[in-house]
Parts: sequence; structure tokens; C-alpha cells
Amino acid sequence: MRRRILLFPIVAAMLVFNSGCAVNRATATVAPEGRAQLSQAKTFYVVRGAKDERGIERLIAENLTKRGFKASSGAESTPPAGTDAVVTYADKWMWDITMYMIELTVVVRNPDGSFPMASGNSLHTSLTRKSPQEMVDEVMANIFSEASKKADAAQKAEAAK
Amino acid sequence: MRVCGACNGLAPGSRRLILLILASLAVAGCASPVTHQMMVPTDLVTTKTHPETVSVAVNGGNKTDEMGKSQISNEEFALALQEAITRSKIFSRIEPGPSAQYLLTAQIISLDQPTFGFSFTVKLEVGWTLKRADTGKIVWRESIRSEFTAGAGDAFAGVTRLRIATEGAARANIASGLGKISQLEL
Repeated sequence: MRRRILLFPIVAAMLVFNSGCAVNRATATVAPEGRAQLSQAKTFYVVRGAKDERGIERLIAENLTKRGFKASSGAESTPPAGTDAVVTYADKWMWDITMYMIELTVVVRNPDGSFPMASGNSLHTSLTRKSPQEMVDEVMANIFSEASKKADAAQKAEAAK
Repeated sequence: MRVCGACNGLAPGSRRLILLILASLAVAGCASPVTHQMMVPTDLVTTKTHPETVSVAVNGGNKTDEMGKSQISNEEFALALQEAITRSKIFSRIEPGPSAQYLLTAQIISLDQPTFGFSFTVKLEVGWTLKRADTGKIVWRESIRSEFTAGAGDAFAGVTRLRIATEGAARANIASGLGKISQLEL
């Protein structure tokens, strides 16, 4: 009986306070006009997230460098001169024995940082958790893969004309 | 009736508790997708209407997983946008595909939803592009951020409050996007 009294508030709290379960996903989208801009971009600037104390902006910049781009990062929202694309992101963390990154959204924007060319989002729950480096790699890979697919489709459409 | 095969060794009271927890988890985890009817702004302020026709395309949305959180699908957002254009008469007519004079694209960039809480604030960013169909010239392009908070008074269950907040953020984004289009000189 005592156990039941203890469990009822827990069950009720889950119903009232929980917004739903997290389900793994990894998606990317490229704007129709963003495809061409992204394929021409060589220099990226990653803006550090306002609440980020883990240095995710450096991981994104390192990932872009590994992909052969010139990339820098910083807290300033104004990019250095000669920047082709500005990258912003939002990272969410959860605790399950240890802290882990549950969700990462990366948006690649035009040089003045106002309009999005492409975005990617990955969400991995505790059982399929990935390291921050792996999360960054998955999101960036999906963005560039989607841009490549859109470019191929556009070439085929042009050839068909 | 045998409903829990793994509960055989447990006392009847414990079985009932386990079933209650499982049922609550199922109810708490059953997310419903947002509907286009609830994303149509009702208080849309338009400066002027345009006599041209428009086609609508939406990308970047996601389908709702029943065990996940309420998401905005491309189809539902497009239907809400079309309904809002028709109601407000911002454009004379909606035409499918390239036969329209203007192409309106909405790219869902990010949907920020909380996991736990009493009141849920959902933040949405959508990239809007309006271009001429004949020349391909972009006449307006803007990224619009919107948010909506659903409080305890809106719904008892968390999953329902999240859906209400998500629909509210989408409604505010569509209202803002169409409001800006109505100010354009086309």
C-alpha cells in the first residue's frame, strides 16, 4: 500500500510533465537556393552558442577542416572578412549515469548569418548515445550528403531539358 | 485474464502497479501529430493583397513518431499555409506547381521543444523565400523565428501541451511570414 502511494505521484508526474519520448533521428535539409551557395562555400565561420561551455563550435570547425574547408570559430556573431558561410548550432544534453549530448542541430547560413542554406539535426537517446565528435560528424555528413543529392538531382533535371 | 506474462511470480498488487506504470508510460509517450487546422492563424493582419497566383512548397519537416514528440510535417504546414493564404486573400489563387506566377517556399529550419516542464515553450525557425516563377528572381527572403508557450491551463497531459505549443509556434510563424508578404510591392 505504501509503495502504491509512492508510485502514484511518479506516474502522475510523468503524465503531466513529460512532453513525449525521445526517438532517434538524423535528418538534413538543404534550401533550393542553398544548394548552389553551399557547393561554392570554401570558408566557414562557426559562431559559439550563447550557452555552450563545452566548445562544440571548435568540434564543428575541426570537422569542417577535416572535410577540406577553411574553418574558424568564435563568440563574435560577425564573421571574419571573406567568410562564405556562417554556422550556428544548438546542442542539448541529458543525464543518464553520465551527461551525454542527446540532440544537435546545425544550421549553415549565408555570410551575413541571416538566411539558412542548409540544416541538420541528430537525436540519439542514451542507449544509442554518441560522443559529441560523432554527433557533429553525423550532422555535418548528412548536410553535405543532402546537398550532394540535391546537386545530382538538379544536374539530371538540367540534362533532361 | 492473463495480461502480463512476466508478472507471474509477483503479488497481485505489484502486478497492478506494473500495469498502471506501463499504461501511464504508453499514454504519456503517445504523441499526436500537429494538424494544419490548428496552424492556420486566425488573427492575420494584412496590409495589402496581391492579384497574382502562388504555389506553395514546404521542406525540412518531419513526420511524428507515435512514441516521440509532436513534429510538423511538410504536408500539414503546406496545408495550413494554403488555407491561410486563401482565407486572407493575400494572393488571388493557389496553383499547384510552376503554373503559378509566384513560388513561395517555407523551409523548416529548427524546432526546439522542451522535454520536461510545467509550461512548454516551443521555438520554431522557418526560412521563407518568395520568387517569381518566370524569371526565378527572389523578391523576398527572410528567416523568421517564432515561439509559443502552452501552460498548465491548456492541457493536462504533457504530450498534448507540447502539441499545442508546437501548433502555436507554427501559427505565429505563418502569421508573421504572410504579414510580411502582404507588405511587399510585387
